[in-house]
Amino acid sequence: MLCPAPPLLARDLTGRDPLLPELREACASAVSWLVSDAPELVVVTGAAAGTADWDPESRLDLSAYAPALGPGGPDLEPGLPLSLGLGALLLDQAGYSGPRILPSVADGEPPAACAALGERLANAAPRAVLLAMGDGSARRSTTAPGYLDERAIPFDTGIEQAVRDGDLATLAATDPGLARDLMATGRPAWQVLAGALGPGRPDTGILYADGPFGVGYLVATFAAAWPPA
Amino acid sequence: MDRQPGPLRLGTQEFPPTRPLVMAIVNRTPDSFYRPGITWDEGAALDRVHTVVAEGADVLDVGGVPARPATEVTVDEEIRRTVPFIEAVRAAYPDLVISVDTWRHEVARAVCAAGADLLNDTWSGWDPKLAEVAAEFAAGLVCSHAGGLQPRTRLFRAAYPDVMADVLDRTLTLAERAVQAGVDPSRILIDPAHDFGKNTWHSLEVSRRLADMTATGWPVLVSVSNKDFVGETLGVPLEERLAGTLAVTSVAAWLGARMFRAHQVAETRQALDMVAAIKGDLRPARVLKGLA
Repeated sequence: MLCPAPPLLARDLTGRDPLLPELREACASAVSWLVSDAPELVVVTGAAAGTADWDPESRLDLSAYAPALGPGGPDLEPGLPLSLGLGALLLDQAGYSGPRILPSVADGEPPAACAALGERLANAAPRAVLLAMGDGSARRSTTAPGYLDERAIPFDTGIEQAVRDGDLATLAATDPGLARDLMATGRPAWQVLAGALGPGRPDTGILYADGPFGVGYLVATFAAAWPPA
Repeated sequence: MDRQPGPLRLGTQEFPPTRPLVMAIVNRTPDSFYRPGITWDEGAALDRVHTVVAEGADVLDVGGVPARPATEVTVDEEIRRTVPFIEAVRAAYPDLVISVDTWRHEVARAVCAAGADLLNDTWSGWDPKLAEVAAEFAAGLVCSHAGGLQPRTRLFRAAYPDVMADVLDRTLTLAERAVQAGVDPSRILIDPAHDFGKNTWHSLEVSRRLADMTATGWPVLVSVSNKDFVGETLGVPLEERLAGTLAVTSVAAWLGARMFRAHQVAETRQALDMVAAIKGDLRPARVLKGLA
């Protein structure tokens, strides 16, 4: 399944205002669904500075975003990159305490390498499930973090439609250069997910698709057994 | 007589040490120094109560006698100015903390019977029976420093070897006496009383050294709103003292003061909330910048 990874997903960071509770609720519903059938392993993936395996016991250190809040989890170093840390947080919040692995994928990783990583992760355990953390464009409006790029909304709409249709080939073929220009940091995670689930057209469900702060957020479930039977 | 900072109990309310409190001034006088007569009419005074409550006031401070020397106000007249108004406020706001700025025990008795929760004794225990009234009615008491001035007089060439030492000595002595008189210690505040028996240098000194007072563990009230030491420091007339007032308010909050007597409630609330957020005592209202 797919979740976005903005810092505001961590409720503690937004102050007294929950800011976007519906996004958090959609993620919580999706993750509850993901872990509801007692998977043998949850694989959390998301873009980071490099492709690496992270300590499964590690957590997001909220102090990097809000020093007043202190470390977000057990005092293990180094803290997880944002995408994996938020994924780990969602698992914790869903009450999942089973096995997890936390492979990150480099934000510049080419599509073929992402697909290969996905395929490898698909075989990590017989009954593993995948939580891919990544966002759409951050250039959807003049108030967006990356200001307006007219290509952003069509790009995000295309991704959303591909997810809606279970069109893994389109996710796998997303242009890394365009995604980088549009600040769509979820691109490598989408392609790891496509590599893990493909080939085929899984049934999907979209729980959230919007960009209220100029960044595209998409929460989606993929009904295919993973790895494919 | 140092103590651990604890909750402040006033009326039905209990306030933790981390919550800065705004005490909104409502004068039932025709001749107070700041915007004289603005709430002389009872309807106007009640309208101000509604406004300051909406703006975030935690406490009302009702005064029937201006601090400065002016026309004499008798006990009966002070009661006439304050008691019906307090009854009206109490009827409208059953749990709002009502303070009364008075030094006379006869007035104190009448206002407590009418529903007041706190006696703001700006004149520093001039009438020793005030603490007895506070004890009798389970009311709170502000123990202030006025440099030995008798009520409604101005300082004349005040001098102190160490003004903060004098402030501490007087306020802690009064607090101790109040406790001995039976006042609940969790209902007592101490107040350096800026401008009272102090020139501008003295008021700046007590502002700078306010941590000496907060370190005692007694909750500290500061009353600095639009006062002359702000005006003299900045060289500005009465109507241009808000920025200076908020600066002193912020410094006092940073140094641990807990209650802030104010004319401009909304602005004071914002300044205090900002300081509380810097201290880590209050979460920001809404954080989005950089987090989307």
